[in-house]
Amino acid sequence: MRWFRFATAAVYICAFSAPAGAAGLGVRISDARGNAVSDAVVTVALQSSGSVAPVPPPSTRVIDQKNETFIPYIEVFRPGDKVVFRNSDRTRHHAYSFAPARQFEFVLAPGESSAPLQLDKLGVIAVGCNIHDQMITYLYVTDAAHVARSGGDGIAQLANLAKGEYDVRVWHPQLRPGAGVDTQRLTIADATELKDLKFTLSLLPDPRLPPDRERAGY
Amino acid sequence: MSFRLRLAVFLVASLAILQSVTAVLVYEVTRRQVVAEGKRQLAIAGATFARQLDDVSTRVSDNVQVLTLDFALRSAIAQRDRDTLRSALRNHGRRIGAARMLLIELDGTIDADTQDASPDQRKFPFADLVEGALEKPSAALVAWEDQVFWIVVVPVHAPALIGLIAASIPVDETFLKREQEQSALPKTTELAVQNSNGTWVVVARANPGNALADRLLGGNTKRSDTPALIEVAGREYVALATPLRTSGQSRPIVAVLGYSLDEALQPYRSVALTWAVLLALGLVAGLLGSVLIARGVSRPIEALAATARRIASGDYRPAAPVAQAGEVGELAAALTNMAEAISEREEHIRFQNAHDDATGLMTRVAAEAAIQQMIDSETGKGGSLLMVALARLPEITKTLGHAISDRLMRDAAARIRGPAGSALVARASDSEFLVWMCQAGQGDAIALAFRLLDVLGEPYREADIAIDVAPAVGIALHPLHGTKASALLQRAEVALFAALGVDEPVAVYDPVADPHRPERLSLMSELREAIDRRQLQMHYQPKLNLTTGVIDGVEGLVRWQHPKLGLIGPDMFIPLAEETGNIRRLTRWVLASCIAQAHAWDLRNRRLRFAINLSARDLDDADLPHRVSELLAIHGVKPHQILLEITESAVMGKPDAAIRVLRQLADLGIDLAIDDFGVGQSSFAYLRRLPVRELKIDKSFLLRLAMGAEDRTIVRSIVELGHRLGYRVTAEGVTDQTSLDYLGEIGCDHAQGFFISRALPPDAFDTFLTASPWHRENLLT
Repeated sequence: MRWFRFATAAVYICAFSAPAGAAGLGVRISDARGNAVSDAVVTVALQSSGSVAPVPPPSTRVIDQKNETFIPYIEVFRPGDKVVFRNSDRTRHHAYSFAPARQFEFVLAPGESSAPLQLDKLGVIAVGCNIHDQMITYLYVTDAAHVARSGGDGIAQLANLAKGEYDVRVWHPQLRPGAGVDTQRLTIADATELKDLKFTLSLLPDPRLPPDRERAGY
Repeated sequence: MSFRLRLAVFLVASLAILQSVTAVLVYEVTRRQVVAEGKRQLAIAGATFARQLDDVSTRVSDNVQVLTLDFALRSAIAQRDRDTLRSALRNHGRRIGAARMLLIELDGTIDADTQDASPDQRKFPFADLVEGALEKPSAALVAWEDQVFWIVVVPVHAPALIGLIAASIPVDETFLKREQEQSALPKTTELAVQNSNGTWVVVARANPGNALADRLLGGNTKRSDTPALIEVAGREYVALATPLRTSGQSRPIVAVLGYSLDEALQPYRSVALTWAVLLALGLVAGLLGSVLIARGVSRPIEALAATARRIASGDYRPAAPVAQAGEVGELAAALTNMAEAISEREEHIRFQNAHDDATGLMTRVAAEAAIQQMIDSETGKGGSLLMVALARLPEITKTLGHAISDRLMRDAAARIRGPAGSALVARASDSEFLVWMCQAGQGDAIALAFRLLDVLGEPYREADIAIDVAPAVGIALHPLHGTKASALLQRAEVALFAALGVDEPVAVYDPVADPHRPERLSLMSELREAIDRRQLQMHYQPKLNLTTGVIDGVEGLVRWQHPKLGLIGPDMFIPLAEETGNIRRLTRWVLASCIAQAHAWDLRNRRLRFAINLSARDLDDADLPHRVSELLAIHGVKPHQILLEITESAVMGKPDAAIRVLRQLADLGIDLAIDDFGVGQSSFAYLRRLPVRELKIDKSFLLRLAMGAEDRTIVRSIVELGHRLGYRVTAEGVTDQTSLDYLGEIGCDHAQGFFISRALPPDAFDTFLTASPWHRENLLT
């Protein structure tokens, strides 16, 4: 019952060697089977008053379309950031979004790049290609103090956490609807403190993978 | 029941039973195979049906999936443009044949429904389908609002998962029929849904009319997983209720698949028909064959039965040869042997029956038949029957025993055969033989009779005894004395009795003397009545006194005026009366009549002497003298007016009692006369002892008186002798004047005969006498 596979991510928060004088958080995310979950977005929001990290200046990032795949799968933006879609394929792509945070659609000829799109609203913007269904990328617009993506090892690292109370939240595009997003409270009492958390996620299958028709069953 | 029929019935019945048993067995085996095949097919069909539904869902989900990829739809969904959404869903639903399309939120609430404009946040009832569809399309049967639907739920990505589209395809009759057309789904397919109370309700059936589910499930909450044999509306089905995969939130649904045995057996019908025809032909052939075989057996048996009946009826010809060997042939041979044996034995018995043991001669019965046969075959040629008696044989048997009499008869038979030659010799009775000579007249018969008397006259000798057998022969002639053998036998017997005790013991049958003629038999019984009914009457024949020339006496002669036969003479009925014992009554009547007549004439001064005949039997009546004297006294008639006549043979050798009667009569003063004198064996010496006063010369002498000197001499001698011995002499049968003159010449006392007058009734006699020249008064004048 492959199709019944639910990926459950476990997020481990481990002690990492962090820059001296700043607290660090390691979040280990795994699925129900204990497999490392990559591309999970961990946001750490200050709960109480505390020192707020300085807001970096707006930047423009590129989402590449290569081999009929959006790269990366997920990109984190801060309000005001801009995104540019670039077509590195030899086919046209028709990027679109119905997300409330930002709706758009345009066709990119091979080698063409879109005009920069400014992302002002918070939220997740799912972007697909109307030509290639399996293509999808997520633009995660957040104003959280600290944001990190888990890597292939399922670990997201956050550093320079000031003292204070935080809500640690994990989001993943394949989170099972209704499963709820796990939020954990994090207290940083010491600037040098290294915390580690772990999250276990209930995930849907990766939509990027073409459906296995041969094995499909209902 | 004849053998033929029984054999035919047996063969046909066994054939029919065998065929029927085989047919039943084959039918049962076939039926079981069909049932087993039906069950197998049902199991396959059940799986096939489930698979078909899967195929349908694949097809539908593919279609829906394609639908979800429609950019405009995705756009409408993403933007929650409900009206657009509903119309788009309806449009797409038509494309894929879905009755109802729904858009479902990820949390399970219905966002849009083609059949419900305002779902109002209702939850989609089949949560498991929603749950499964989050990952990939899910599908299942559901019982929804009294209908069965195939629901496919497909996720909608735009591009992230933003909702689910549910397509609801009605699984109804149309669906089932279409599936039947496209696959090997049994004709009888029904869908049944279990209600919350556990009963099953049929919601769709591919073939309206049959209700297998009702019958198979029949309201039972339990459901069998194995095919069952049920009967619906007189037809048999193998039915299986296959559970169908449903949504977890749906009531259970089963597909009831029926396999019609009748239809499955349809191909066997023609086989069964062929079989029945073959059976019928076989029965006919068996019937014919058995009849033919049975006929082969029974025909000869029936022929033998006919032969047996033929044998029973006396036909002993051998049975018709039977070609068949074996039992029937043996039976035929046995039957033939039996017939021969019976024939021989019957021949033997018949010979014994027809032949006398002692002499080896034919018995009387056999001889009678043989003679009759000869008479019949040689009509008109005549023949003589001789009855030969050994008169002394009864005496010999009593004296010497049966053994010696048998030997004697054997010896006599041998002696007879010699002279008899080719004539038929048979034993007629214990002491009699009979000899039949064909084509022999009286002369031949008498000649043979004398030869037989010769050979039998020689005494039979045995040891030191010699036995005289006293043979006698009676002869009857054919056709003179009879045309029937039995009659001839009887007549010869009569003749034989006449011959017995005579010097020349040979007699030819004399019809006149035969006291046994048949007509006499009736007369015997009538004679008694004749006396009572006054059919008898007295006639009187005058007696002429030759000395005085006057008629001074009469002979009373009785006549019988028979109502049918007319006047019958005494020669006919007197012997009859003697034999039947009526003679005494007759004599008394005669005496009474004569004496009464004498008195009557006395009164008229006609004094006549009455001669009255007495029978020999009358002399045995000791009362006779007394009766006569009474009659005389009554009528005042004097005894000497009565003359009683008796024949010579009547008095000869009579016992003393008879003589005494005669003496008493004589003592009364009545004269006695000897009638028919001269022809008997009387001797004067004997007569002298009797009180006889008169002799009557037999008329045979008088008949030839006129012609022969010899008879004249005899008559004269008798008259002279009689006179010398003191008797009066009367001559009877005077027929002419010459005789009358001669009688007067020789001094005969009285004459009597037709010349004077025949016997007359009293009145006629009166008339005659008055006019007669011999009347006293006439003489005087």
